[in-house]
Amino acid sequence: MGDLVDSMLDLMRRLPPTRTEENVDALVRICPDYADDLLGSVDQPLQLKTDVATGRDYLACDYNRDGESYRSPWSNEYDPPLDDGTVPSPKLRKLEISANEAFDTYREMYFEGGVSSVYLWDLEDGGFAGVVLLKKTMAPTTPFEPSGSWDSIHVFETAERGRQAHYKLTSTVMLQLVTRKGSEGEGSPPVAADRKGTESWKRNGEVSLSGSMTRQTEQDWPIHDASSHIPNTGKMIEEMEIKMRNLLQEVYFGKTRDIVYDLRSVDDLEKARRQKELQKELVGFIKR
Amino acid sequence: MDTTERVQIASTFLLQSPPGEINDVLNDVRNIIGDDDLLQEGIHPALREYNIAQFTTVDVPGSGHQSIISEASRLPAEDLDETQERFLDPRSKTSFVFDHLSLEASNPNSFEPDAEHESFRVALQTSTLSYLSSHFQDGVASVFFSTTDEGPEFIIQVVSNKYNPTNFWSGRWRSEYVINLTENKVVGKILVNVHYYEQGNVQLSTTYDISFALPPAIISAPPNTAASKIIALIEDEEGKYQISLNDTYQEMGEKTFKGLRRALPLTRQKIDWDKVLGYKLGAELSSSKGMFGNS
Repeated sequence: MGDLVDSMLDLMRRLPPTRTEENVDALVRICPDYADDLLGSVDQPLQLKTDVATGRDYLACDYNRDGESYRSPWSNEYDPPLDDGTVPSPKLRKLEISANEAFDTYREMYFEGGVSSVYLWDLEDGGFAGVVLLKKTMAPTTPFEPSGSWDSIHVFETAERGRQAHYKLTSTVMLQLVTRKGSEGEGSPPVAADRKGTESWKRNGEVSLSGSMTRQTEQDWPIHDASSHIPNTGKMIEEMEIKMRNLLQEVYFGKTRDIVYDLRSVDDLEKARRQKELQKELVGFIKR
Repeated sequence: MDTTERVQIASTFLLQSPPGEINDVLNDVRNIIGDDDLLQEGIHPALREYNIAQFTTVDVPGSGHQSIISEASRLPAEDLDETQERFLDPRSKTSFVFDHLSLEASNPNSFEPDAEHESFRVALQTSTLSYLSSHFQDGVASVFFSTTDEGPEFIIQVVSNKYNPTNFWSGRWRSEYVINLTENKVVGKILVNVHYYEQGNVQLSTTYDISFALPPAIISAPPNTAASKIIALIEDEEGKYQISLNDTYQEMGEKTFKGLRRALPLTRQKIDWDKVLGYKLGAELSSSKGMFGNS
């Protein structure tokens, strides 16, 4: 029943992104048979874990999960430990190690912090697929400091065709921004100065912008050896993130703001209407 | 999972519906639950709660205008059950039964307003409606009177909706001001929700609480003047808030967004991936060389 999953995905596209985890959990409880379909197709905020062996942070998602355990890209170990946990073939693991190092550099250059993880897995037709995860969180140190988080999930599939490789990339970025303001809060300037001496004015507000956007692309790139997959996917992901960052900027700070101004006009609409009337009258007068 | 829990989850989903999308959410929920009889019976309380909280608008029979469904418009009815619950449009002095699924009013009755407070309520209503047409394209406003433990209160409610499913967005502005003339104070709130869902799901959700004491000049003024002055304060406050949202947007864009991810690396150039890989491999080689070389 494919349309049941469609309904679930449509629902998730409408409900508040800030409550994705709780809503996915509820859907799984209603339809346990569809848990895998749902967990595989709804992007959820990435969880931060710490590798017991190396002490390094890594990101957990559906792609490095086996049962209740998650595999670390640094030590290749599952936590909680699994004896027969799925791991990439030795050849692919070698590529995974290099990819993790390369995207760690990418993370430092663009995010100047945060955590990255790359997971690769062998496909049955001989190719392989992978996911590049990036997450950065800005936690507020005071109640009136803005906070936010960025989660990138880049899933790709590759098929080699001689000296060329074909890549299919699906990228999702989840972005959440929250700002709180209050006239009673510490270190926050009042929203507007009241000269009338009305000290009794109290104002408290919160603005939350949250959501996710997904885009896809398919490209062919030349390959010289196995390690060519890293610069190839690297360039594609870098290009995609630049594009999506612009898109997010446009939608978050442009679109949603325009809609607020569609709901309420700062300028007096009556005045504008009267002006229009007057202009019509004048035009009629001149024509006469 | 038992039926109570399924209805409860369905209700939670419905209550989270973005502006103008409750029917879409309901359609999805019907498909997911797959038991229309169960839903028909079970989700009525959620629909009612949603309509009341979201200031759902309704065509008032025979009036030619719309009014707001809310806690303030709900008539107290101790003896009646929910299906016979009535809502009030003070502007046309009409009470009616409201269908929370079809969103239609029926069974209108005339309503006798509080004799002592009606003239001030009408004065507030006149000013509110003129404020509404000055700043909202498709706004609806209602002004209610109610007697509470804190004395008589006037409640101004405003709602403005824009639904544009063809372009995958919708939005809602709600505001409410409770004016208490015993304590001479106004307590208000503004709530804005925006949903943008073209190849994604982005939502803006804002809350804003405000309270202020009425200046003596307003308290001592004649009712009509006082009413228009109160609305002028509200108009000013809402205008300031909307402009302050702009500043918040800018701050989020300049600080938070840029702080999370740079547009380009510090070098102002895209990454040289062959080099990145080379460095790493080089580092690996030199470290292993060191390991053997020094032994």
